[in-house]
Amino acid sequence: MGNRYVAKKIVGALLTLFAVVIFNFFLFRIVDRDPLTKYRGRSKLSLEQRETMIRRMGLSGSKWDQFVAYIKSTLQLDFGRSFDSTRPVLREITDRLPATLILVGVSTVLTICIGLYIGAKAGWARGSRFDRVSTSTTMVLYATPEFFFGMLLLAIVAGRTGWFPTGGLRDVGTNNGFVASLLDRAHHLVLPSLTLTLGYLGSYSLIMRTSMLDTLGEDYLTTARAKGLKESDVMTHHAVPNALLPSVSAIAISFGFVIGGAITTETVFSYPGLGLATADAIRNTDLPMLQALFLVASAAVIFFNLVADLTYGLLDPRIRHSI
Amino acid sequence: MSAVLEVRDLHVSYKSSNGLVPAVRGVDLEIAPGETLGLAGESGCGKSTLAMALLRLVPPSTQITGSIKLAGQDILTMKPGQLRAARWAQASVVFQGAQHVLNPVRRVGRQIDEAIEAHGSASASRAGELLDLVGLGARRGDDYPHELSGGQKQRALIAMALACDPLLLIADEPTTALDVMVQAQILQLLDNIKRERGLSMLFITHDLSVLSHTADRVAVMYAGRIIEVGAGDALLRNSLHPYSKALTASFPVIGDPSSRHQPRGLAGDPPDPNNLPSGCPFHPRCTVATDECQSVDVKLRHVSDDEKRSVACVLVGKS
Amino acid sequence: MNDPVSSTSPRDMTWARRKQALARIWRELRHDRAGFISLLVLLGFGLVALCAPLIADRSLLLAAAGRNNPDLAAPNAQFLLGTDDIGRDVLAQLVWGSRVSLFIGIFATVVAVVIGSVVGLVAGYVKGKVATVLLAIDEFFLVVPFLPLAIVLAVILGRSPVTLAIVIGITSWAGSARLVRAQVLTLSERAYVERARALGAGTWQIIFRHVLPGVTPLIIANATLIVPGAILTESTLSFLGFGDRLSPSWGKLLDGAQSSGSITLNAWWYYLPPGLCIITVVLAFTLFGRALERIFDPRLAGR
Repeated sequence: MGNRYVAKKIVGALLTLFAVVIFNFFLFRIVDRDPLTKYRGRSKLSLEQRETMIRRMGLSGSKWDQFVAYIKSTLQLDFGRSFDSTRPVLREITDRLPATLILVGVSTVLTICIGLYIGAKAGWARGSRFDRVSTSTTMVLYATPEFFFGMLLLAIVAGRTGWFPTGGLRDVGTNNGFVASLLDRAHHLVLPSLTLTLGYLGSYSLIMRTSMLDTLGEDYLTTARAKGLKESDVMTHHAVPNALLPSVSAIAISFGFVIGGAITTETVFSYPGLGLATADAIRNTDLPMLQALFLVASAAVIFFNLVADLTYGLLDPRIRHSI
Repeated sequence: MSAVLEVRDLHVSYKSSNGLVPAVRGVDLEIAPGETLGLAGESGCGKSTLAMALLRLVPPSTQITGSIKLAGQDILTMKPGQLRAARWAQASVVFQGAQHVLNPVRRVGRQIDEAIEAHGSASASRAGELLDLVGLGARRGDDYPHELSGGQKQRALIAMALACDPLLLIADEPTTALDVMVQAQILQLLDNIKRERGLSMLFITHDLSVLSHTADRVAVMYAGRIIEVGAGDALLRNSLHPYSKALTASFPVIGDPSSRHQPRGLAGDPPDPNNLPSGCPFHPRCTVATDECQSVDVKLRHVSDDEKRSVACVLVGKS
Repeated sequence: MNDPVSSTSPRDMTWARRKQALARIWRELRHDRAGFISLLVLLGFGLVALCAPLIADRSLLLAAAGRNNPDLAAPNAQFLLGTDDIGRDVLAQLVWGSRVSLFIGIFATVVAVVIGSVVGLVAGYVKGKVATVLLAIDEFFLVVPFLPLAIVLAVILGRSPVTLAIVIGITSWAGSARLVRAQVLTLSERAYVERARALGAGTWQIIFRHVLPGVTPLIIANATLIVPGAILTESTLSFLGFGDRLSPSWGKLLDGAQSSGSITLNAWWYYLPPGLCIITVVLAFTLFGRALERIFDPRLAGR
């Protein structure tokens, strides 16, 4: 792929990330009250300790000093201490990151594969029963808050039948062997990832369907048929590769929603990832945590957009030859 | 020798929100082995629809009646499997290269190979050989369509059309979007290929000047019907139908300064297929129309034997 | 020889044309089954929301109201949708909740559409450096994930319904701005805009009296498609802890259901109704919005 294209996209991503960092700074400076209001155990701090803490949080000195201090600590990945647990924010985040990565990773892969497949088939066979049924279903899915799915799944599958656990990452006490522990984790992952997948299946499927409909009128499909290709080959080798292009862009834009969905899904299933941490941070007004989580979430979306841009360059030879 | 292509009483109508729109209204034609038939007419006369219908490449809801025999087999009654086998192997299409007729995300060589593989054989070097043949060079097979110029794309399309050794080449406006020098090269290429392989060709165009070199016979189409057909040079030099006369007259003749100073176009527009005039469809624009023309619609009829001319006009062939 | 003096002023003619356009839209909407039914559903919900005081007394929402009632009681003659975890009537909360959910959803959309349209109009018409800055800001708001942003803003700015609506509006305007700008770019090349400019009309005048009417159909169709997102966002924010338990929205009801464990206790009357209401209203707005899109842009028909 053209090196200039890759470089341009990476620089763009870094610039956007930097913009988020700056935005983060200004956002939290609006809060002017005593920054330690919610810090647990604050009454036990001496005046000296208080001032040290405030200095460490970068809230003393002029605005410019604060800004420099903020940038410095951000680059060092020092996000302060959680108001709630008083542990370093970075530790809290790295502790919970893997769980969320797995959840979001599995769900996104499933959503993309299933959603694109349904959308492509529905668009190709426009007006058929498959199309009508799948499009209506995906529209209803799209209208449903993803945490409501979680609640329904909990009620039906976990509560009544007990097939799946109602929450958590794993059963405490199941430490006999790697495989058993792995299976147990997978068992706990089923419902949350199913919820997250169902939540965004609708939009990805609709995106691909629209994209496919746009491709149906292209001349090269007629050429492919004229050459004697079967309809299924025309769809797979000619329509789909071209329909994927605008879908990739649209899916990248909607990834921000998946991040949001992870927050509510983890809450429903008490799944100890970054999403649950966010929900807790809201309830406790844990500002350092919220600030850092916002940065992490934005960085994730920016990274995913970068991946999508590079994928687009891989899929469309016109782009990678031009820039 | 039996005809490569034999079309009888072909009617093609599109389904639209206004009902059926007749694009081709009763066309007969034959093409003998090794012969090139030029099909001329303005935009909207139905010639592209005719070309697409020959391999049943029209939208599924389109109505086709009549018979289209390619190498003796009726295309219209074929089952899907037979049709796919016949496509490209009996007849192939050289599309207008300016449109998006090539898949933009697939290499050119792959698109040629694809046609060959679809017909059961697989030869690694075939695409390269074909590209060499048309003067592009085998290495161009690794390029994507957007990396080729207009003329190069047209050559690639010709190479692709030859992939399965067809008997008939349907060329739909192959030179229209190209500039004159490239046009000449492409026409030369088609000529060479035709002669080397004994190919028949249906050459569709609105540009009559191109046909004077290429076509053995010429048919002129108007409002979905063939209104004149005959030997190429003879028809172009001396058309009999009022429409053909106007058409041939509107092209300037190189070497004849007077033709530049007196452009003789044709007033009016082709008729709306939804709303055809009564009688002869050309009579509203015809300079020599009589009262009879408003009510009488004449089919093609034989006019002269040595030029094998047929004309669909009330005023021709009388007495 | 004298032309009769026309009694219709240009303004009258414009209004007559607009009335005709509205009549056409209404006619086409009637024929679009999905769109028409959706409109009826939305009007139904709107009616319920407006008539909330007539259906259930407001005091039923107070915590005190539930004191003498059984907690998490199943639907019966007295409580058609049962009671919640502190004994309050679920149906009353559902009905009053429609007010909050619909209000926040619509107000947030208004905020988003106003910001987005102004940005889009200015960026599209004025172009130049101003446009570049606006577009960069727009790009920023498109990239930043909306829920974390909404959470952060809501924590900082406050949790009242109006603030929530503004917060949701701030996270939703970026898409509209893009659409409006694209349309403005096309329209500003049109002859009537050039004419206005030649006649010396000021920039703002041209934007509001000439370009805006051309963009309005697009804005309206787009707005009806933003409302569903706003309602879903509100329900999500309420579910996560924002909002007011004593003046609950549908999302807040779901939060109450979740945190009181009513799922595992099988108290379906607590979480099913609000969820279904959300789905229905969001679906109705989406279908209605798509119908409007089809009417305003016939090229989209057949999707």
